Amino acid sequence: MRGQKWSTKWRVWMVVAAIVAVAGVLIARLGQLQILDHQEYATEARLSHVSEDTISGRRGALLDRNGYPLAGSQDSFDLMVETKAWSDSKNATESAAALSPIAGVPAEQMVASVSASSIYEVPVARGLGYEQAQAIRKLSLRGVRLMASSRRVYPEGNLAAQLLGFVGQDNSGLTGLESDLNDVLGGAKGTLTYERDGLGNQIAVGERQEVAAQPGANVVLTIDRYIQRLAETELEKTIEKTKATGGSVIVVQPKTGEILAMANSPTADVTKPDLSDDSKLALFRNKAVTDTYEPGSVFKLVTMACALDLGLVGPYTPWHDLGVFKVDNWTIRNWDYSANGDQSVTQILSKSLNTGAAWLSTLAGPEQFYSYVDRFGFGKSTGSGLGGEVTGQVRTPASDPGSWRSVDMATNSFGQGLSATPLQVLMSAAAIANDGVMMKPKIVKEIAYPGHIQTVASEAAGQVIKPETARTLREMMGVVVDGISPTLLDVQGYKVGGKTGTANLTVDGGGYKPDAYISSFLGIAPLDNPVLAVLVKIDEPQGTPWGTVVAAPAFEHIVEGALPYLKIPPTETALVSGQR
Amino acid sequence: MAAARRQPAAGPGVLRSPALPVVLIFAALAIGVTALLPLIQSSSATSTAGDVRALEAERTDQRARLRALELEIAQLGSLSRIEQEAAARFKMGPPKAQNYIAVDAPAPEARKIPSRYLAAQADKDSDSPSLFEDILDWLTP
Repeated sequence: MRGQKWSTKWRVWMVVAAIVAVAGVLIARLGQLQILDHQEYATEARLSHVSEDTISGRRGALLDRNGYPLAGSQDSFDLMVETKAWSDSKNATESAAALSPIAGVPAEQMVASVSASSIYEVPVARGLGYEQAQAIRKLSLRGVRLMASSRRVYPEGNLAAQLLGFVGQDNSGLTGLESDLNDVLGGAKGTLTYERDGLGNQIAVGERQEVAAQPGANVVLTIDRYIQRLAETELEKTIEKTKATGGSVIVVQPKTGEILAMANSPTADVTKPDLSDDSKLALFRNKAVTDTYEPGSVFKLVTMACALDLGLVGPYTPWHDLGVFKVDNWTIRNWDYSANGDQSVTQILSKSLNTGAAWLSTLAGPEQFYSYVDRFGFGKSTGSGLGGEVTGQVRTPASDPGSWRSVDMATNSFGQGLSATPLQVLMSAAAIANDGVMMKPKIVKEIAYPGHIQTVASEAAGQVIKPETARTLREMMGVVVDGISPTLLDVQGYKVGGKTGTANLTVDGGGYKPDAYISSFLGIAPLDNPVLAVLVKIDEPQGTPWGTVVAAPAFEHIVEGALPYLKIPPTETALVSGQR
Repeated sequence: MAAARRQPAAGPGVLRSPALPVVLIFAALAIGVTALLPLIQSSSATSTAGDVRALEAERTDQRARLRALELEIAQLGSLSRIEQEAAARFKMGPPKAQNYIAVDAPAPEARKIPSRYLAAQADKDSDSPSLFEDILDWLTP
């Protein structure tokens, strides 16, 4: 009897122990879930019913110097579809069929992109406009919502396309100023966190936190849309007329360094960027700062500036041209193989004599000559701040003592054997136009942040030559233009100065491409008080390659259009009558 | 004795009161109404939140419309359109010659940058003190 009682008790205790053990395991598991792993499971639970959307701030506009928008942002909508809501194929097909004509995306494509995705929500169409958003909202489709977004619009089309650049799908700048000024234009992104129900809809009284996005700043450029268009039109006309492969035109204000126009051809389409291959990608390069060339005879201005500034020669210093100039064992000849006899230094420039330029550089000597080349900004960045700007190459006795020879300086004196960007070449002429003060090229005039306006001041790079040397050079540039046939260059109402250039086209790996030239005209206007410095550079024109014939007419048309537009009065003699 | 007999009947007397059902009905109604209050409050909050969302969506739409109109204005004022209109509608073309005359009048002022692109002005209302701030200032001179 006693043994039976003990046996019963033992069994009861076993059951109790088992219950306690199970309870203990459950309590331990509960403790693990609720205390030890609390954070992990709480986060998981929160994520399953909380959505976080990134809100982009409105991207700032790029304006021309007069406030005309060159690039602006339009509020748009991205069409988002919940994958769960379209898991039912009938609902998916019907919804897609209703959305397709409005969104302009094939229904099959929408269904395929949603069914192929494992994430909660998929964008099936982007950049929809206000009217499209209204139409979609009226459909009240389950699992379909519109997310506020924005798209970039270029009201002037492809004006200054390579300078402005374009933005990617995430509204970040990829090329040009859109990329260079991305931090300023982009603003700060915000977030919207909200609770959603089982169907994914926002719970009206649920948790909702919004960190507002900050809009980007509007940037006022120094570009003038009228002059930019003028430059682009004249560039295209010249390329078409001469059957050239491309070219660049840059217009700057010498006194401030402000870039009024920067045009390149061939150009790119920023409204519908095509990045399908490298050749199309190359069209987005701003060649005015990213590509170098041998400047040719326009560089004689630098050589002449050096000789005049050092007081080695004056404008009427005599020189006898034999048609050849010996440097070591090398012979320098004129471009037309001419021997001109007694000449003045001014005629070296007006007749563009290579022999004369080589003689002037020899007078100065390598140290002084390259010192002036450096002062004029060759071989170093202009400080424009434009993305992809290169420095060009100048070999000097100091930089390349092993292989530099005297003949290198002789060829450099007429713009061969060194490379520069079109902007560097233009800024050298701008310094001459600005009494010897070289300004840093400037592209941004003002930045209008949401709370304040930042004005970008013009900055001088330095006094590269004496003011009197600059004035003498300007007069000589006037003589150069006087020597050009009025059928090629005759700016009505204004006296202008300039220098032509015709250079051989270099090829990768060294050497020159046969029968391929770069024709250019570097000019300033008006001559007595220059407000414009213009470079017209045409690549590989067919037929006559001379800068006078190819590039000078474009300079004439640009200046004739730009000076009256800028309200620069013409010379007295140009007036048709007295004051009215 | 009579008083002693009446006392135990006091409890059942209340229960037998003819007003009891009415009291109970009112009590039940009061409890019911009270129970509905959170529901009404919740419903009202939901409805208001819904209205807020709808208004936010409308604000987004209107802002989008405004931006679209601004850009439409910019596109209508673009140089290519002006040139196209000048040529097509007004039959204008490039000048054959340019003549310069002096006029005794100042040049027109340069175009000003539209205010919508400039820095936003500070909201004057947000700078002025609220009614409560005024009262607080008055109470604590």
